Amino acid sequence: MAKVFIYPLNSLILADLVERFGHKPLTMMSQIREKVTGLSLDSPPMNITSEDPKLGLKYAAIEVPAGVRGRMSLMGPLIEQTEAAIIVENPPANFGCIGCNRTNELIKYLIRSKGVPVLEVKYPESDDEARDFVNKIAEFLETLPREKPEENEKAKEEGLPEKEGKE
Amino acid sequence: MSAEESAVVKIALVSCGSEYAGVQPEFEEAAAKVNAKFVFPEVDIASIDTIGRDFGLEVASGDLRLMMARAKAVVEGTTNVDGVFITTCFRCAEGAIVRNEVRRYIHKHSRIPVISYSFTESTTAGTLLTRLEALTTIARRRHLLTREVQTGLTAGIDSGSTTTKAVIMRDNKIIGKGWVPTTKVLESAEEAYSIALKEAGVSREEVQAMGTTGYGRFLIGNHLKAQLIQEEITVNSKGAVYLAGRQKGPATVIDIGGMDNKAISVEDGIPGMFTMGGICAGASGRFFEMISKRLGVDITELGALAVKGMHEKVSMNSYCIVFGIQSLVNSLAKGSTPEDVAAAACYSVVEQIYEQQLQEVDVREPLILVGGSSLIEGVPMALGKLLKIDVLVPENSHLIGAVGSALLASGFIEE
Amino acid sequence: MTETKKEEITKYIVISSDKVLPSDAAMKIYESEFPVTVKETCFGLIVSGAKNDVQGVVEKIRQLDKNHIFIKDRGFPPGDERRCRASRGGGPRPGFHFLREEVEMLPAIGAALDELEAKEHVKEKCKTKCRLKTSDLEKVIEEELAR
Repeated sequence: MAKVFIYPLNSLILADLVERFGHKPLTMMSQIREKVTGLSLDSPPMNITSEDPKLGLKYAAIEVPAGVRGRMSLMGPLIEQTEAAIIVENPPANFGCIGCNRTNELIKYLIRSKGVPVLEVKYPESDDEARDFVNKIAEFLETLPREKPEENEKAKEEGLPEKEGKE
Repeated sequence: MSAEESAVVKIALVSCGSEYAGVQPEFEEAAAKVNAKFVFPEVDIASIDTIGRDFGLEVASGDLRLMMARAKAVVEGTTNVDGVFITTCFRCAEGAIVRNEVRRYIHKHSRIPVISYSFTESTTAGTLLTRLEALTTIARRRHLLTREVQTGLTAGIDSGSTTTKAVIMRDNKIIGKGWVPTTKVLESAEEAYSIALKEAGVSREEVQAMGTTGYGRFLIGNHLKAQLIQEEITVNSKGAVYLAGRQKGPATVIDIGGMDNKAISVEDGIPGMFTMGGICAGASGRFFEMISKRLGVDITELGALAVKGMHEKVSMNSYCIVFGIQSLVNSLAKGSTPEDVAAAACYSVVEQIYEQQLQEVDVREPLILVGGSSLIEGVPMALGKLLKIDVLVPENSHLIGAVGSALLASGFIEE
Repeated sequence: MTETKKEEITKYIVISSDKVLPSDAAMKIYESEFPVTVKETCFGLIVSGAKNDVQGVVEKIRQLDKNHIFIKDRGFPPGDERRCRASRGGGPRPGFHFLREEVEMLPAIGAALDELEAKEHVKEKCKTKCRLKTSDLEKVIEEELAR
């Protein structure tokens, strides 16, 4: 099971496909969850405090706007875990965490320069393109290592439900 | 307080992601202090795809497009709000373009008051408070702000960071003035007030209503039981157009105070867009005080000196109060005349105001210059030269806040 | 390994199926033994609860029509005040717009998954070198002609 970075980071379709084909999607949702369900301080709406943009300094210089660095403090740790990535070009209107194009440019750059396998696909605009989109993603995910020995053992230990139980 | 005044003011938050910069709690805190609530205008998702074309500004970031769509929802009345707060990240060019255009758009197409601000992760509730206070006042007290004539016997006190001003007004005339350096806020206010009362020849008991403004407004207002305690954006706008006799139509007010400066775009005496400086003392009265000291002249003589000089003869390579003064001192050492140095100091201040404050405010004539620094003749001259328009400095321009307070306070006599 | 605290998670189940309605799926969950909270929405369900329970339940629901039911994590618990439009002051939460856009694409994605599955089916069958079933052959012919 490979940890697959997806862009857009909050995409239902990408997260679902990655999981469906037996890998772990690295998503914004899990990052947000960590933030908002933590028991620590309460800084609504997302518990992002003025400390977070400082954590973002690891990925972007001080002259980069606070909103970019704040977003990077959420997305950066995902990039660090990335073993493969799917980047969708021209996704539909994007808001919230992925609403800042400057941040998006930076994360895509960091992913591309990481040296992991990256699939770049166009967001489908017709049924035909959707078929192509799914095929490409499925094909790409098939090429990724299914399981790592140590993770497999860990999974068994924890008694997690088996991912490959579909067919 | 009337029901209208105690009601929660709804402010549309038009931002590209303040919640990701860690400043959202500060925004909320400042809003809560002025009994306001942020709302997020409803937008039609389909409009986001075309908003770039509709609005005429095509940008890459989705959140910036969302800002335009939200502004449109406000203007078209899809979402009912009393004010709009437009904010984007400091140092983002794309954000700055959208912030400015969205603000102009709302200003042009509606009467809803708008303020705009660029934030960093260090932006605090305190920084935002005056801005939000002004915004909510415009929303709540529009009727009060329409007052054009002072009636009865009223007092106004402006507790500034450097000086405290007091005026007594009767039947639309200033009958007493007090102007003292601010030492202890309350004591200075008492002193200025007493001087003004003495000059007016009236007792405290006779005064029918009082208004306070400036940094010490709450302390003094509560102590003297003022009917009106109001931030300086609103009060100074009103005071400026009143003193300049330009209450109708557009005007731009530039107020160079002791510690900060403001540029306010005014329409019929009501502030629209405004910006406040305060990051750098190099564009404030403090700079003039220091330069006077270095030149060995009284601050009241600095203006006359500056008018005789030529700023071009002195090279200034910083606006910073420390380095700026160093530049001027170096020039003196190299043989520059005090006149040229004084002129350069005036030019430096207005240039900084131009570069920082006026970038976000549309300059519409008449341009009214107020605040203590407006009395330094070199300042309006340098500003006029820089902007290539005539600068109006009304009589008593340094008493702007006190006069505005006394004028607005008279609205409480009839109530 | 002992679990100190059960990790609570929330997942969206987005249903783009002709066979399964969100209410059917919800009923299925109510009938199941999983102690999870379910909230029906216009596009499907939001399920929250302990990690293992939620993972178990969503897989079960997915199998009702696996190529037309999609699953995604959600950061906020359902009805969270910080995200709820009622307390947030109008305007849907930011993620809603994106989800809505994606939901419109789901029928095409579902169809693509169906095709992919059919192809895999054919491939696997072929590997064992048996004769194609006529129905499978028919499918292949139809697909090829439809290109």
